[in-house]
Amino acid sequence: MTNLSVEESMRGQTIDVRIRFMGDLRAVVESADLKLSLPQGTSVGDLLKSLAERFGDPFAKWLFTGSGELHHHILIFVNGENVRDIGGLTAELGAQDDRVELIMLPMFEGG
Amino acid sequence: MGIETILTSCGMCYVGCGIQVKVENGVAVSIQGDPNNPQNRGNICAKGQAGLMNLYNPHRIKTPLKRTNPQKGLYVDPGWQEISWDEALGTIASKLKAIQDNPKQLYIQGWEITGDSHLWLHAFASAFGTPHYSSNGSPTCGKVIHPVEFFAAGGFHQQPDLHHCNYCILVGTQFAIAARASFNHIIRDMADARARGMKLVVVDPIGGFAGSKADQWVPIRPGTDTAFALSMLHVLLNELGIYDAEFLKHKTNAPYLVGPKGLYARDPSSGKPLILDAADQKTKVYDDPTLSDPAIVGAGEAGRPAFALLKEHVAKYPPEKTEEITTIPPATLRQLAKEFGEAASIGSTTVIDGVKLPYRPACVDWAKGPQGHKHGFHQSWPLKLLNIVMGAVSVPGGILSTGAAGKKPFRWFPEGGTDGMLEKGGNILPLPHPKAFPGRTPTKPVRNDLAELFPLAPHYHTLLPITAENHARYGLDYGLQVMLHTPTNSVLGSFGDLNVVERFYRSIPFIAGFAVEINETNLFDDIVLPFPSYLERFDFNAGTSSRQLGPCGQDDWFWQIRQPVVELAPGLRHPQEVLMELAERVGIRDDWYRLLNHTFRLKEPYALEPGHRYRADEVVDRTAQGWFGEDHGLSWFQEHGVIRFPKDVDEVYIGPFLKARLPIYLEHFLQRGEELKEVTSQMGLDWDFSDYTPLSEWLPCPSYNAVQKGDYDLIAVHYKFPYVYGAFGNDNPWINELCEQTDAYSILVNEQVAKRKGIADGDEVWLESPVRKVRAKAKLTQCIHPQVVGIGGHFGHWAPGMPIARGKGLNFNSLLPTDLEHIDKISTALDHCVEVRIYK
Repeated sequence: MTNLSVEESMRGQTIDVRIRFMGDLRAVVESADLKLSLPQGTSVGDLLKSLAERFGDPFAKWLFTGSGELHHHILIFVNGENVRDIGGLTAELGAQDDRVELIMLPMFEGG
Repeated sequence: MGIETILTSCGMCYVGCGIQVKVENGVAVSIQGDPNNPQNRGNICAKGQAGLMNLYNPHRIKTPLKRTNPQKGLYVDPGWQEISWDEALGTIASKLKAIQDNPKQLYIQGWEITGDSHLWLHAFASAFGTPHYSSNGSPTCGKVIHPVEFFAAGGFHQQPDLHHCNYCILVGTQFAIAARASFNHIIRDMADARARGMKLVVVDPIGGFAGSKADQWVPIRPGTDTAFALSMLHVLLNELGIYDAEFLKHKTNAPYLVGPKGLYARDPSSGKPLILDAADQKTKVYDDPTLSDPAIVGAGEAGRPAFALLKEHVAKYPPEKTEEITTIPPATLRQLAKEFGEAASIGSTTVIDGVKLPYRPACVDWAKGPQGHKHGFHQSWPLKLLNIVMGAVSVPGGILSTGAAGKKPFRWFPEGGTDGMLEKGGNILPLPHPKAFPGRTPTKPVRNDLAELFPLAPHYHTLLPITAENHARYGLDYGLQVMLHTPTNSVLGSFGDLNVVERFYRSIPFIAGFAVEINETNLFDDIVLPFPSYLERFDFNAGTSSRQLGPCGQDDWFWQIRQPVVELAPGLRHPQEVLMELAERVGIRDDWYRLLNHTFRLKEPYALEPGHRYRADEVVDRTAQGWFGEDHGLSWFQEHGVIRFPKDVDEVYIGPFLKARLPIYLEHFLQRGEELKEVTSQMGLDWDFSDYTPLSEWLPCPSYNAVQKGDYDLIAVHYKFPYVYGAFGNDNPWINELCEQTDAYSILVNEQVAKRKGIADGDEVWLESPVRKVRAKAKLTQCIHPQVVGIGGHFGHWAPGMPIARGKGLNFNSLLPTDLEHIDKISTALDHCVEVRIYK
């Protein structure tokens, strides 16, 4: 994971990311939006780990499986694009004012 | 206007058959099956034909209503007052806005499976930010089959391959005779299969519609399916030695070595499960390319193969012992096991379209019956295991998985994951499928439905009335404040004990719901929104038969849409447009569009654009073009009704093409159980962990114990009619006539038992469960297990808006005790067998 170094922040090598929570995650975080300054080169995976540390349980456990994989019910858009189409968790949050939407969808059932 | 025939999709149940509706001068006058639709091939059932009477039901709601009586209750008159759409939506929007800072206080009951509302509300819930969305209607149905199917086959539900099967055992289901998806397709396949000599065995407490068509009906005591299945496995594996060793070695976790604590023996560096290779007696990781002959019996230094443990485990269930539980005689059980094992033709192959495939023409099918128990998961899972040990999964003649794979208009196929096991189910829509492998890590609950304490379940609505009794008991500091619901009658159909259900609905300060007619659920509404008939609607998602529950086997894949055959009645609006306006008023429309675009795979130029409001027909048109090309928009479907594509062999029989192993041993149950113990212990909750076991054990339902103790002498179970689906059409005069002519409103009682009690056919009796005492009319029959009372349909209405249905039959669910003791700790299913007594 990329370290959120103060030194880097002071050098101005950061980007602003706006995160929007939907679905179950919204309920866990108890906030619809969050704005973070992150080091340039931060990946989507880095961001998630950072958020998991910030919000703790049950947020982290809704996000990741016990073995650290992203749960299948998590949907992530970066600037409107599904991260699965732009490199998955390794996709970099490169631009200023990146908009990340983090959604936990209900499983689709029947009966 | 004249006479015209319009192609559309039926909406009288969840299937969605292709229909031709004859319309004379703007009035629909007849409904026939569409012979060009692969789903029903021209067939139409009684419900489908009776749909006209739903359309012209004089008691339909056609204007929004608000309640004027602040008191709420099962039998309280709401004091309805007609209001404008603007007032109705304004009121609902203001209630939603009031909880927007804490949106988890919203509960959406989203089961309206005949059309788009189901998926639109799914996205609405996520955009609003609530986890409380219920995507199913029943407290049992689907709770086990979908998660099991996704981790043990890859699709949404199962179907016997009636095209090739020679020996079919139905357990607690009336598959292809009175119930199930693609009904009007599979009934013909079932008739053809029986005509060519397929033996049909029905294991069920009731010898009803399915039993009457079967070659053999085997009555079983309710809630003992685990014992039956484990005993069958014992006879097959230990007495007859019949199992598909090659399949088990290479396509399941049968060879995974299990250590003394029940967990896999793992490679210390990679963490991968280990297998003993019998060829060179070396222990290797499961995906070692040199692995040639995985051992499934015996023992290695690191542990014993999972299959060896299974064999040893099922030996605890010899037929002589399980007879005491199931009441099935040992000779009968051994006869079934022998016939089933021999019919599976292990080792044989067949060639279909030039492709050589394993041929296993025998399977066991199950559905609602085994799921609906306190230990519902383990009542069902060993039945699936019977197919797996025979290698009869997703191959010709065996059990097939619905909607698991496809190539047009998108490609989807199940995939492996953790430990090389099947993990990612196939799904045409990019929505998370029910998933019980590897499960989630339990945590202290945030949700009112305690999802966090059910790490292997896909949904949890049965817990809502239970936590509503005492939120603090479960560490919750809030209750639900607003509920939105579809026309589904969830008060009668989604829970149990009416006293508990009443308290739950009364605990929610504001409820708004759609209604076709005022049913018992609407009696709790503050605002009622009229819902159009399926014959007035546009839906891109017109039933489940295309998406997840289509006919298996080599029949065309297809998609159909729904279009109105008559004009929308004055005062009504399309539900999609109502939800769009509501989302706009609440300020979530653009987020919602993002999720709808994702759900329906809509990309430019067809994606819903922020800031725009669309008509329902525009959305259907955009989606159809997005999926099938610009030449196949709404107008194409309006003319042709259905688009169809032939399926390739690897879409139909996915087993040999699946690059993942299927489970016979549920190691992850131990892991999740241990994690859950830690959480419940921290919360001070007394929890039952007996189901967190990798190999199923039979455990009794409360009803079994009650009868053993002598507190009650009978067990009531539910069964289905082919002409009744849920409460759809209960107020339909044609369906009512069918029910009256067939005595559907009576309860079934064993003739000899009734005589001992002095009860004659047609007598009025008292039926008493631990939570309800009601009057019922007894119908005596020899075709029911002597310890059982059979209650069919979904009747027992009292709502003023249902004058035809009112006062007829019983509501089965209302007899069911509804507490944590009656909930399956794996699946959240509510126990659907209940101890009762009957007397005059």
